[in-house]
Amino acid sequence: MTTVMLVDDSATMLMSLKSILTKAGYAVETAGHGKEALDKLGKGVKPNLIISDVNMPQMDGITFAREARKAPGMRFTPILMLTTESEQTKRAEAKAAGATGWLVKPVGPDQLLGVIKQVLPGA
Amino acid sequence: MPLELHEETANLVGVVTVDEVEQLTGWLRTARRPKVSLRRCNHLHTGALQALLLFKPKISSAPNDAFLATQVLPLLTGSSGPANKQGSDPP
Amino acid sequence: MNPLLAQFLAEANDLLAQVDEGLLQLERVPGDPELVNEVFRAAHTFKGSSGLFDFPELTRLTHAAEDLLDQVRSGRLALDSGMTDDLLAAFDLIRGWLAHVTTHERLPASAGTDAAGLITRLRAPLGGEAVTAVATTATSTATIDVAPEWLAWLDAEWLTETAGWLATTSSTMRFVRYFPDSDCFFRAEDPLHLVRQVPALERLGVVQPRVWPGPDDYDEYVCLLSFILATRASLGELEYLFRYVPDQVQIVELDSDAITRHLSGEPPLQVEAAVTAAVMPMIDSDLAADARALLHAAQSSLAVDDVVAGDTRLRSVVHAVASAARALGVPVNLTGADRATLLAEIDRLLGAAAPAPAGVAEDLSTAVAAPVPAAAVADAPGRADDPGGQVGTRVLKVDQEKVDRLMELVGELNVAKNGLTFLADAAEEEFGSRVLSRRIKDQYAGMHRIAEELQAAVMDVRMLPLSVAFGRFPRLVRDLSRRLGKTIELVTEGEDTMADKDVIEALGDPLVHLVRNSLDHGIEPSDERIAAGKPPAARLTLAAVADGDAVIVEVSDDGRGVDPERVKRKAYEKGLISEEELETLSESDAVNLVFRAGFSTADQVSDLSGRGVGMDAVRASVEKLGGSVTMRSKLGQGTFTRLRLPLSMAVTQVMVVSVAGQRFGIPVDLVVETVRVPAGEMGRVLHQDVVMMRGEVVPVIDLARALDMPWAPTPGEDRRILVVSVNSQRIGLLVEQFHREVDVILKPMEGLLAYADEFSGTALLGDGLVLLVLNMKEVLGLAARVA
Repeated sequence: MTTVMLVDDSATMLMSLKSILTKAGYAVETAGHGKEALDKLGKGVKPNLIISDVNMPQMDGITFAREARKAPGMRFTPILMLTTESEQTKRAEAKAAGATGWLVKPVGPDQLLGVIKQVLPGA
Repeated sequence: MPLELHEETANLVGVVTVDEVEQLTGWLRTARRPKVSLRRCNHLHTGALQALLLFKPKISSAPNDAFLATQVLPLLTGSSGPANKQGSDPP
Repeated sequence: MNPLLAQFLAEANDLLAQVDEGLLQLERVPGDPELVNEVFRAAHTFKGSSGLFDFPELTRLTHAAEDLLDQVRSGRLALDSGMTDDLLAAFDLIRGWLAHVTTHERLPASAGTDAAGLITRLRAPLGGEAVTAVATTATSTATIDVAPEWLAWLDAEWLTETAGWLATTSSTMRFVRYFPDSDCFFRAEDPLHLVRQVPALERLGVVQPRVWPGPDDYDEYVCLLSFILATRASLGELEYLFRYVPDQVQIVELDSDAITRHLSGEPPLQVEAAVTAAVMPMIDSDLAADARALLHAAQSSLAVDDVVAGDTRLRSVVHAVASAARALGVPVNLTGADRATLLAEIDRLLGAAAPAPAGVAEDLSTAVAAPVPAAAVADAPGRADDPGGQVGTRVLKVDQEKVDRLMELVGELNVAKNGLTFLADAAEEEFGSRVLSRRIKDQYAGMHRIAEELQAAVMDVRMLPLSVAFGRFPRLVRDLSRRLGKTIELVTEGEDTMADKDVIEALGDPLVHLVRNSLDHGIEPSDERIAAGKPPAARLTLAAVADGDAVIVEVSDDGRGVDPERVKRKAYEKGLISEEELETLSESDAVNLVFRAGFSTADQVSDLSGRGVGMDAVRASVEKLGGSVTMRSKLGQGTFTRLRLPLSMAVTQVMVVSVAGQRFGIPVDLVVETVRVPAGEMGRVLHQDVVMMRGEVVPVIDLARALDMPWAPTPGEDRRILVVSVNSQRIGLLVEQFHREVDVILKPMEGLLAYADEFSGTALLGDGLVLLVLNMKEVLGLAARVA
């Protein structure tokens, strides 16, 4: 089963994304900020895909992406950043930190599932 | 398991992801006369394709997947498709 | 000089010319997107390469110009003549700087202050502030209609079929080059997965590295493949699909024509491979592309250069690498770095940027065994900023000196070949073998044919279009007419006419003279023209046409023309014509008096409806080329000057004569005949030796006396006289001996003899002797003075 990890400080965002993914048959792990997500990765959670917000307390999404790449088994895991339309420069930063791509908020079901198909072979 | 590796033969099954690239490359490095079946392979990660191109194993059976069969297989079977050229080929 | 700098300077010249020409055309056709793009590309290339050297002012100035052009290109600004002036001024300043760089290898000290004002002016239309180049350029272009070189990776047969189908259906197809970063796997990118998602994929080419690493060195996580694909998917679909990797793809939209042009150009694949290693011609963020080009250039500079720490060259490479690193967002400290460190750093940066497949760049230089033409390899570094859109045959840029050397060798071959005829004679006369003589002559005939063809081929290489000579006039006319407040339309015709490069070169000054004269004095200000019932805008025409082995260049205007009466009077006052001539000279002959030496000086310019400044200089330089100049004019309607020049001045047939044991050449086309006259038949009229020939009195000049050579004819012996025709007058030359006619490669006089006007050039003879070729007009002048 394909597991997606969602990292966002907004509970609403987490809920809406989780419901889309669960309906589509994915297993979902959630984390409220980068630190929590890193902890989970450190404890053996192995998502096939990570979707993370950029602006979060404690640890921002870009730092998280950079750190997540170093977690065991995460070298090649696709990481998508949730950005707003205006965060163009963040995208380049995110790519430099090892992110695979980005999603532009608000994220609808078609967009989310489409992107996952694009970056995750066999998904 | 996407890789079924035997001494001289390998079956690539389903989606061969980047996670399998290292193992596949290692097998290709050591196998004396490697033969690879792509019949049940649905997708090859670029790294896997690259390893197959470098080590040129014999392809024992063609993939069912249409994209792999039409676009990728000709590269691997030596009867290189007209559209695919190696860098050092003359024009 | 650093080869990198030399390369830059050579390229800079072309770029400057492109920018100039493009800007001038733009003024006429404002807003032509193709033109704007061309100028922009040239400026952009310039900026890119200037960053290689420690010339910050140059980079700043070109950057300002480029920003302005970019705004024009995107349609946010309309180019007005004020901006054109500023842009032209900027590139003029750069031209001046580069001349300084050529000799001193650095910018003039005043560069900063010179540039400051211009930069402010260039930036003014942009809202003043310096726009730092942020990599937010659009990913791909909607209608690039030039096929990129990488199209060659798709097979020609399929391309031909596709072009046919696209033509039939008048549709287009999108072509994508996807060049994944080598470390793309670590961002979880799977290029093949992305490629298989391309909708309506028509054709896929997988480009493998030229040279694979050995199995032990192979790193399975370094992406070495790249992809070329053709698709019917729309641009929007492709941009969406590749949105996470815009800097790794180039998308072009091509129609049938573009593909056909590509196919007929036969772009060599080997070169493409070289180019992918040395450069990555992709539309990514301009900045990153520049940075990569910079790094590759630095790399090759280090490879060829024996640089040592502290060396200025090394410092400029350090500077280049550091700025590239900054541009890529990974600043490094390279203070005191040596060559090895730098090379390692360049490798690392290239790896980070969007690297060539590992090992490829190095393999290039060693791949001698592979069928890589030397020219292709040599070409690669120079193409660093080529947008990858070259169509048509490849053109080699060759140093003029090399062509000259080739011509010299052809001349020597001719001479050596001529030696065979002597050998044939010797075989028969000294060794008594007619058979051997016959066979040598046959050999000679074969060699003669080859030598002639070789000569023709080299001559062909030397041919340049007249557009080279005309090229400077749009600018000159524009600047002068603005200054003079006249409205002038310049028309050029027959720019494709070809002539030898020496002729083209020598044509420059006389043409400038004629055009300036026309502008200064021939053409009237608009109000005067309107008063005379003419259109307010004057028309100045430069036209060239080939005429057998000559080229005719005409400069004409519809200005006030020349007043023949005033010319005659002036000539008479100057003592150039007799009173009788004043009465009888026809109007057309009178007009041509302006070419007489001593006819005019600058202070008489305004006096004489302007014509005549230094016209004798024009005549002299044209005649030195073996040409002629004539002028026709209709008062009030315009002036028409015609230059007739030999198509080529490389090979001249000369008659060899000698006096005092010294041999001289005389152009054969001047020679009428050679005669031997018994000493007793020589006559003398008014201190002038003469000879009667077929009832005509021909003056005879003693060549030895004219040239101040110690020789006098043996009393009682027949006189040898060479009759020449100069200015349609027959004149005899008293010489010691006649020799053969020979074909020679005439070279201009150099060194001490450069000012000896009596000689038009030198040529090397078969026996190694240098032949001086006489300038007959000057010799006659000398003779007159001696007498």
